[in-house]
Amino acid sequence: MTSSFLLSLTTFAYLVCSLCYLAGVTFRFRPFLLCGTATGAFTLVIHSAGMLLRWKESYDLGFGHAPLSNLYESLVFGAWSIMLVYFLLERRSKQRALGVIPSVLAFLAMAYASFSPEIDSRIQPLIPALKSNWLIAHVITCFLGYAAFAVSLGISVVYLLKKKDNPGHGSSGVLGMFPTSRQLDELNYQMILFGFLWLSVGILTGSVWANSAWGSYWSWDPKETWSLITWLIYAAVLHVRAVRRWRGRKVAWLSMLGFASVLFTYFGVNFLLSGLHSYAVK
Amino acid sequence: MARNVLEKAPFSYLASLKFTVVLLLVLAFGSLLGTLFPQGLSEHELTSRYTPETLRWVSFFSLHDLYHSGWFRFLMALLAANIIVCTLQRLPKTLNLLRRKESALNPERLTKFSLRQQWSLAADPGAQREAVREMLRRSFSSFRELETSPGAFAAVAEKGRWSVLMIYVVHMSILVILLGAFIGSLFGFRGMMNIPEGSASDVVHLFGRQEAVRLPFQVRCDDFDISFYETGLPKEYRSDLTILLDGREVKRRTIRVNDPLTHEGVTFYQSSYGAFLEEAEVELRRDAGDPVRLRLPYRQPVALPGSNLRIQVMDFLENFSQFGPALGIVVWSEDGEPEGSWILADRPNFHGNRVGDYRIRVLEIKKGHYTGLQVKKDPGVWIVISGFVLLLVGLTATFYTSHRKIWLWMGPTEAGGKVLVAGKSSKNSLAFEQEFHHFCERLRSAAEAA
Repeated sequence: MTSSFLLSLTTFAYLVCSLCYLAGVTFRFRPFLLCGTATGAFTLVIHSAGMLLRWKESYDLGFGHAPLSNLYESLVFGAWSIMLVYFLLERRSKQRALGVIPSVLAFLAMAYASFSPEIDSRIQPLIPALKSNWLIAHVITCFLGYAAFAVSLGISVVYLLKKKDNPGHGSSGVLGMFPTSRQLDELNYQMILFGFLWLSVGILTGSVWANSAWGSYWSWDPKETWSLITWLIYAAVLHVRAVRRWRGRKVAWLSMLGFASVLFTYFGVNFLLSGLHSYAVK
Repeated sequence: MARNVLEKAPFSYLASLKFTVVLLLVLAFGSLLGTLFPQGLSEHELTSRYTPETLRWVSFFSLHDLYHSGWFRFLMALLAANIIVCTLQRLPKTLNLLRRKESALNPERLTKFSLRQQWSLAADPGAQREAVREMLRRSFSSFRELETSPGAFAAVAEKGRWSVLMIYVVHMSILVILLGAFIGSLFGFRGMMNIPEGSASDVVHLFGRQEAVRLPFQVRCDDFDISFYETGLPKEYRSDLTILLDGREVKRRTIRVNDPLTHEGVTFYQSSYGAFLEEAEVELRRDAGDPVRLRLPYRQPVALPGSNLRIQVMDFLENFSQFGPALGIVVWSEDGEPEGSWILADRPNFHGNRVGDYRIRVLEIKKGHYTGLQVKKDPGVWIVISGFVLLLVGLTATFYTSHRKIWLWMGPTEAGGKVLVAGKSSKNSLAFEQEFHHFCERLRSAAEAA
């Protein structure tokens, strides 16, 4: 068995998982949701095994490193983080319907990683600048942050749909499967806080690493700058929520703006702007 | 009165949340601009990239060096001012709130809380007092009894008082980070030094300025080495460095990317490398005559046997106008008159490969390496990193703790007795509501059991 087999299996299993969640919400049939959770949890295990196996395979090739080094590996890890953070939320909130958007995002990330011709999925040796244990700390912390923001995006979308559908309390229909607006707002806030904290740790680990690799903890490289932009946006969200008591719609929209910034930090900077973090670099 | 307000207006605006949010978003937008315009272009690149009209705007707003521009620094200074003013304005109030200890409780007040519960008792609750006390003591770190109407019992209990101060820790940590960055830019420097293998230097050329810094010691590169993977990707860059003080060896270290050397607060990073000409072997032939082979160390004149001429390699190019490597060779005549030309190494038959009467052929080029070191001194780094750690501690504490307070009143009524409980949390969270209701349940059962 190879890691690429396990990771391909993961891609399809997330598709099944997201379809289960989707069916559960659409047909308002809770056992489907339970099925989504079960498939998702099982897939997360295969997914983890796939990443660990890839880690081992890199050692067999003679240049072992954690599978966190290029665009393919980071997408795979991104999908893993989204599902992990989502399941933490599901356990805490006991709300299964929210799984729709995170599982779709995880499937899309895996599918993009596996099927895009631009993405090289071979295990490659590390260039000198990436040879550092800070790589592991930096990638893990940043992606936990990104994943929390992705889950927050899902909650925000549901919140906005729900408000539109039925402005009063307690919606009926498909949206009735989801938690109440007030709960959604609260969960959204928790996810933003969680993401903000991990993004901050990610920026710290990145700057400690940069300080030992390039002699500067901050060099205004486009990716660094965009992570700061993301940080500033979410900082603004936290301020208006804490002091201005903004709730619901406005926070949901701001959270979507923040996630757009996350996406640009991740993809836009890679493809449009060059810099230290560009995976396209030889 | 009106004057007073006017005087206060800018100050209070600086402390307002609106200003903070606007500032955060303007900083985000400013940073965004800097990623759209290439930073740190040279004068030449600027003029070739932009039309004179655009260039005027670019240089007016320093868009090519935005993060060091006056207006960006001004925004940072405003952020610092905003944090300081906010703190000065709010911290005393927070401290007062924390310090103030209510001594009495009017049960009337508890009916106004949005989070409250009450239930009636069949009899005077006197007997339940001890059980309730015991339970509060177990559930809360701080618990105090309050004065109230005779025969009744009132108490306030709280948890996590300090958590409301954590937001000040977060804000202070941002100031610490900015301070560290400021100290670094004031007392530090960043530059480059290129040291050929076997030689030493103490001159650092600063980035972005036509200036150099002389170190109080010398750095010698004993060896530079680069290795590759089979795929052709670089695997490792390595330099063996020695620190010299008045010619005496003080320290010896091998550095790699991600593994720099620090000496007296100055850090040397492996950052680039390059090749230079060490020595060339050439063949000189006069139109009629035997060829002469000569070894020419770079830039050292060598006498040409059988003549009064001296010959010297003055310059070397890796790729001369796409014709490959070329040597700039100069021949000095007896009276010191130079005559020279570029000699193409890979094209021995090129008709221009001659100086004076001699045809010159390059037989061998021996190259040496120099290591490119990035040199940095930044006394602010540890301040910045401490600020960051403080930020994380503060954020974690702010996010995952809250100041929770519960008031309780228990007393006799005409019909028997009544219990009133109200709660408040510094974070208006659903979790606290659940905790509150759960607490009320436990309180009820504890009291009933008594």
